[in-house]
Amino acid sequence: MLSPERLALPDYEYLAQRHVLTYMEDAVCQLLENKEDISQYGIARFFTEYFNSVCQGTHILFREFSFIQATPHNRASFLRAFWRCFRTVGKNGDLLTMREYHCLLQLLCPDFPLELTQKAARIVLMDDAMDCLMSFSDFLFAFQIQFYYSEFLESVAAIYQDLLAGKNPNTVIVPTSSSGQHRQRPTLGEASMLEGVEASLFYQCLENLCDRHKYSCPPPALVKEVLSNVQRLTFYGFLVALSKHHGINQALGALPDKGDLMHDPAMDEELERL
Amino acid sequence: MIPGKYRSVSGRAANNVNCGLHLVIQTSSLPEKSKVRFKQVEFKLNKETPSFPGRLLQHDLERNYSSRQGDHINLASSSMPSFPILQRSSEEKILYSDRLTLERQKLTVCPIIDGEEHLRLLNFQHNFITRIQNISNLQRLIFLDLYDNQIEEISGLSTLRSLRVLLLGKNRIKKISNLENLKSLDVLDLHGNQITRIENVSHLCDLRVLNLARNLLSHVDNLNGLDSLTELNLRHNQITFVRDVDNLPSLQRLFLSFNNISTFESVCCLADSSSLSDITFDGNPIAQESWYKHTILQNMMQLRQLDMKRVTEEERRMASVVAKKEEEKKRESHKQSLLKEKKRLTINNVARKWDLQQHRTPNIATNQDTKVSDSPSQDPSQLHGSAVVSAFPEETGSLDSGLTSALQGLSVTDTHLVEVDGDTLSLYGSGALESLDRNWSVQTAGMVTTVSFTFIEFDEIVQVLPKLKMKFPNSLHLKFKETNLVMLQQFNALAQLRRVDQLTIDPQGNPVVNFTLWKYYVLFRLSHFSMQKINGTEVTQNDMIMAERLFGILAHVASSELPQYRLISILGDARKKQFRYLLETKGKKPGLVNEENNDSKRLVGENTNRATLNYTTRDFYNERLEEIKEKKKFCKMYMEDLVKEATDINMKNEALQKLWPQMFIELVRDAVIEIRNKNSYMKLCLQQITDQK
Repeated sequence: MLSPERLALPDYEYLAQRHVLTYMEDAVCQLLENKEDISQYGIARFFTEYFNSVCQGTHILFREFSFIQATPHNRASFLRAFWRCFRTVGKNGDLLTMREYHCLLQLLCPDFPLELTQKAARIVLMDDAMDCLMSFSDFLFAFQIQFYYSEFLESVAAIYQDLLAGKNPNTVIVPTSSSGQHRQRPTLGEASMLEGVEASLFYQCLENLCDRHKYSCPPPALVKEVLSNVQRLTFYGFLVALSKHHGINQALGALPDKGDLMHDPAMDEELERL
Repeated sequence: MIPGKYRSVSGRAANNVNCGLHLVIQTSSLPEKSKVRFKQVEFKLNKETPSFPGRLLQHDLERNYSSRQGDHINLASSSMPSFPILQRSSEEKILYSDRLTLERQKLTVCPIIDGEEHLRLLNFQHNFITRIQNISNLQRLIFLDLYDNQIEEISGLSTLRSLRVLLLGKNRIKKISNLENLKSLDVLDLHGNQITRIENVSHLCDLRVLNLARNLLSHVDNLNGLDSLTELNLRHNQITFVRDVDNLPSLQRLFLSFNNISTFESVCCLADSSSLSDITFDGNPIAQESWYKHTILQNMMQLRQLDMKRVTEEERRMASVVAKKEEEKKRESHKQSLLKEKKRLTINNVARKWDLQQHRTPNIATNQDTKVSDSPSQDPSQLHGSAVVSAFPEETGSLDSGLTSALQGLSVTDTHLVEVDGDTLSLYGSGALESLDRNWSVQTAGMVTTVSFTFIEFDEIVQVLPKLKMKFPNSLHLKFKETNLVMLQQFNALAQLRRVDQLTIDPQGNPVVNFTLWKYYVLFRLSHFSMQKINGTEVTQNDMIMAERLFGILAHVASSELPQYRLISILGDARKKQFRYLLETKGKKPGLVNEENNDSKRLVGENTNRATLNYTTRDFYNERLEEIKEKKKFCKMYMEDLVKEATDINMKNEALQKLWPQMFIELVRDAVIEIRNKNSYMKLCLQQITDQK
């Protein structure tokens, strides 16, 4: 318990890093809201159940978005819950629209914002035809990246725009030909234009980003892996690569591998017991 | 009828014709004025052949008349060589001085009749005469019969001022004309001709009978001036409308059989004729109508015979009763159509408001004055006992009074519309939801099985669902159109109803229908209703299985994986809310069917594992979050205090940890130093003890 790393951090920082306070506050808040009911069966039991559910990842069910978004663990739990609840939809093979996926998300979190779902859909659809149908696995992995790393992605987008415009925070570089004009992902048909940004440069910026910012970002090693395979890449290309990367998925730990997405033996067992 | 009788008479006067030149006239009796008797008269003509013109004439004669032997033709040469001249023997002249019959003589022209100036009756029936000629000198003529000839034009009558009976039936006359001088005309028979218009008869003020049957008349007018006309025969024409009959002060009999009259309006002038007592319409399209008899009788009270049958008192009474009913029905349907129009306008208005709402920021509160009332719809088949709702249902319990009370002043608002039509309650516009508060009669409310919502936000409907459950317990079919159903979650709100058999979500204005899975979700969440139909299609076993397969895990998660306190809080929350509603505060969030609720004891079958899936309208959700904010702030502060305390203690603890070794050593050192000198230590202790006392 008294391991040196733990004692190395000052109090507040330690608490903040582990988000202990968030959970404590939330627990007390829940207690206050439901005091009549909870007082019937004891406060100690309440706290037990609460933290048990936090560990199991069921604490985020039907909670408001602000809570779900509050900690990485919450986010991961939510992703996992979404997968477990609607895996059958994917198994059934139905292709759904972005709005319908959003509906399913809202079943678990009533005030889930539409923008997040839209951004996730954009990753899948590469910013084309937002009304297209998406498969469950495509959407889920893209959504994972978007939701879990949302702040990180925002910064990445900013960096990308900067690079496109030719401004490099790190080094001086000759701007690419006319890529400054392109705001979004340029069309594939224009072979004469240089697409996106240079991968290695991009990675340098990202590395700095990861160092600078405390909130969760993908492990830099894996990011490097993603970027090392290509010479140049676009923003959405990068995101798609992220979403499809097994390593990152595993590092997150919320969802199983793509191949196992439709299988959930634990759940099946439970269901059969009923 | 004179002409008819006369016809038949002439038919009988058939064939005692010998040698074509013998004219035989049979006795007959003519009623009324001209009682002219005819006797057999033989008329011989000399056969002597005259000069050339005469020979020619004889040739003509022999050709035209089937001449036989032994005839004496007495032909005198005349200035008009083509006309035969007829002369009778003096005996005949004396015997039948005033009548002359020349029927079936195969005459093609009117012969010159010599020396018969006092003739009063002249009969040319059944010949081939084409023009009326050579009778101008017969100025005493009263009766002229030219039936069944080939006359094409009425002419040559201008001198016959005394003529009273003119029979021109079965000719080829195209136009009524040249009757100006026949002011004494009593009977005019023009049946069987080609007359297309009634004209030039206005001066015949003594005319009593006018026969225009079997002509080509398409309408009847120009009848003014016929002040004595009692009988007008217009059978077998093509008449479509009749006018001016009310200008005939004496007209008693009017025969319009076999024409083309189809509406009463086309003969409406008959209603104004006080003299008419006998009328026929058979063979007209109007006679086939269901309303024919009583309409005629109702409008022509003076009638004694219709279609040759006496009109009985019973019939008259029936006619007036039926007419009254018709009037009533017309008034009713007029009112209906007015109501319908009002309804349509209201609905249009509501739709327009709804559109505005949807495209701008939703601002439901309007400042339109709402005269609270609705337009009920009258079921026209009220006699069949379907429910009728008037403006004040609690006042009219019976069905019969529904009609009369509906005539009370109703005002339809233009912001919403409530309508009960038999088994369907239709609500248009959000203002209509207030009508659920009214006192509905048990009968009406009990009959309602379908409730239809249009142009109302679903979130608003959700709030009145408990009221709906209470007031309309038999509502089994819900229809939603233009209600802004956008999320699957919203269907959770329907779970609180007692039972829903059928659900119809119109794609118009309900984007949720575009989702692939919406039906399955409905079946899943509302599985305890065992719904029969969704949007008109039957729910199959496969559908239910699929729904369970798709969403079963969600239910499982929602029930078993939620920590206990969450379950209690969600269900308890609902219970609290329902209780509060029953205490007549605003029924806020739609609760769940709580298994402990009396109501749902019946629904033991409901899968309680999905009972936690409920729907809070966006507004209430935000409200609740707002409420929680305070608590959250407090919690945060509280926790911060705790943390501060804890960190303080922790710090102190750590500080103590750091300092303790040093402190311990000092303690030990101090103790050892103290005890080093035994004697002085003993003295010190004793000193301390005495000091203490």
